[in-house]
Amino acid sequence: MPAGRRAMDAEPAAVALKFAFLGVLYLFLLVIARSALKDLRGSRAVADDGTGMHAIAAGRVAATDAALVAVQGGGLDPGERIDLFGGVTIGRAEEADVRITDRFASGVHCRVHTRGNTYLVEDMDSTNGTYLNGAELRGEAPLADMDEIQIGDTVLRFELVLEGDTT
Amino acid sequence: MSARNRELLGLIPVAGLLIAGFAAVFVVRRDEVADASLVFGAYFFAICLAAHVFLRIRLPNADPYLFPLVALLAAIGLVMLYRIDESLARDQANWFVVGLGLFVLTIVFLRDYHVLERYRYLIVVAGLFLLLLPRVPGIGAPVNGAYLGVEIGPLAFQPAELGKLAIVIFLASYLREHREVLVVGARRVAGITFPPIKHLGPMLVVWGAAMLMLVFISDLGSSLMFFGAFLALIYTATNRISFVIIGLAMFLVGAWFFASTVDHVGDRIDIWLDPYQDASGTGYQVLQSMFAQADGGLFGTGIGESLLYAPGARETLGNTLIPEVQTDFIYALIVNELGLFGGCGVITIYALIAARGFKIASLARDGFSKLLAAGLTAVFALQAFVIIGGVIRVIPLTGVTLPLISYGGSSVIANMVLVALLLLISDRARRPDPEAAS
Repeated sequence: MPAGRRAMDAEPAAVALKFAFLGVLYLFLLVIARSALKDLRGSRAVADDGTGMHAIAAGRVAATDAALVAVQGGGLDPGERIDLFGGVTIGRAEEADVRITDRFASGVHCRVHTRGNTYLVEDMDSTNGTYLNGAELRGEAPLADMDEIQIGDTVLRFELVLEGDTT
Repeated sequence: MSARNRELLGLIPVAGLLIAGFAAVFVVRRDEVADASLVFGAYFFAICLAAHVFLRIRLPNADPYLFPLVALLAAIGLVMLYRIDESLARDQANWFVVGLGLFVLTIVFLRDYHVLERYRYLIVVAGLFLLLLPRVPGIGAPVNGAYLGVEIGPLAFQPAELGKLAIVIFLASYLREHREVLVVGARRVAGITFPPIKHLGPMLVVWGAAMLMLVFISDLGSSLMFFGAFLALIYTATNRISFVIIGLAMFLVGAWFFASTVDHVGDRIDIWLDPYQDASGTGYQVLQSMFAQADGGLFGTGIGESLLYAPGARETLGNTLIPEVQTDFIYALIVNELGLFGGCGVITIYALIAARGFKIASLARDGFSKLLAAGLTAVFALQAFVIIGGVIRVIPLTGVTLPLISYGGSSVIANMVLVALLLLISDRARRPDPEAAS
C-alpha cells in the first residue's frame, strides 16, 4: 500500500494514546453508570410520590378520597357529588370531565388535580376567572376541606372523605 | 459533595479525552496539521468551563452528570473532526460558542419555562413551518432525495433540528392538559384498550403529520423520530402500553404504504435490505460505512490512523472513502478508529444521557415538566438511534445528524438549547424546598 499509514507502521505513542482515550472514556462511563444504578435502587419512592401522575391512569378505582359537591347553579342538582378520582377538568365544553351549563364558564375552565397528598385547583386561563372562597385564583392553589370553588354562577364545594366516612 | 462540584469533577475526564485525542491526531499527522491547531481543544474546554461556572451561578441544583456527558460527546466529536480536517474542528468549536450563547439565553429568559405552555399553538405552527421549509423552492433542495437542509445565500441550516424542540414543547403542553380525558374515556375491545374516539383526533393529527413528513420531506428517519417521541409522550402521560402498540401499528401501516408509493422512501428500504444490488451506486454509502466499521476490529486502527482517502485520491471533503464522514457517517469513522469498544462507548454515553433525562422527568414535580423532560430526552435519544441504527444497518439509513458529535451549526445549537431546557427542569425539580419551587 503506497504511503498509507496503517497499523503496521503505527507509532507506539499513537497506540498508547488510543488506549488512553478508550480507558478514560470507559472509566468515566463506569462512574456515571454506578451512580445511575444507585438511583434505581434509591429513588423509587420519590418517583412515585412525584405528582401522582399515574394515579388516575390506573383506572377509576384509585383516589376516591375527595369529592366536589354542587352547591348552586351550573345545571347540577344541589348536593350532587362528583368523585375526584385523582383529578377532573371542569368546564362548558364536551371534553371537560364535569360539564356545567354556565354562560360565564370557559370550555375547560379549571381543573382539580393531586400532587402528593394534596388536592389543588388550577385555573386553565379561563376568560372570567375562578374564585376560591371568594378570592380570585391565580394559577393554582391547594384545596382544604369545605373550600368553595366558584365558576361564573356555579359554586362547588370541595369535601374530603375522611376515614370511616360512609358517604 | 455538592452537585456542581460533582459536575466539575466530571469535566476532568473530558479534558483527559481532549488531550489524548488531540495528541494522538497530532502525533500521527504531524506533517499535515499546524501546531496552532492544538489550541482548538483548549478553546473548547474553556467553553465547557465557562458553561460550568454559569450553571454554578444560575442553576445550582441541576443534574450534575448531564452536562459532563454532553461535553464528553462534544469532545469526541471535536477530536474526530480534528482528525478529518483541522479547520472543521475550529468551526465546530466556534459553533459551540454560539450554542453556549443560546444555552445561556435559554436559561436566563426561560427561567420559568411554563410560559412556553401559553404560546404552544404559536410554537407548533413555527415548528411545522420549520419542518416544511426545506420544501420551499429556491431555498430548499433535496440531498440524496430527502428534503432536510435549507440554503439562504451563504447560510445553510437544518430547520428540523429546531423544529423537533417546538414539536416536543407543543405535545408536552397539549398532553398535560388532555391526558385525563385520554385515559378516563378509554374502552376495552377484545383485550386491547382503545382511547376514546372523540379524543383520538389529536393522535390522528400527529400520525397524519408524521405521514405528511414522509411524503413531503421523503425522510423515514425524521418521521420515525417525531412519531417515536410522540408515542413516548403518550405513554408517559397515560401509562397505557396499548396506545403505544396501536400507534406503532399505525406508523408501520403508513410507512409500508408510502414505501411502496414514494420512490425515494422505497429505495432506502431496498438498499437497507440488500446494499449489494447497486454496490457502486445507491448502496455505496452504506457499504463503505460497513467496510470501515469492520476494518476497525475490537480496538480500532487508532485515532488518525484510518484510511480516510483512497491512496492517490484528491484529499478534499467530498472525496473521502466514507461519504459524508463529518456528518451522517461520523459514527462509522469512530468505529473505524476506536473499534467496537469506542462505538459501544459512544452508544453508552447516549444511553446514560437518556437515563439522566428520564430521571429528571421522574423527579419533576408537575405534569408539564415531566412530559417536557421525557419528550426532550426521547427525541434526543431517538435521533441518536435513527442515525446510528442507519449507519450500522439496523434500520434504513436516513440523514439526520448524530447529536452533538456531527459537524454542523444547527445541530449543535438545537441540542444545546435542548440540554439547557433539561437542566432548567432539573434545577426546579431538585430544589431542596418543595414549597418554594412550586
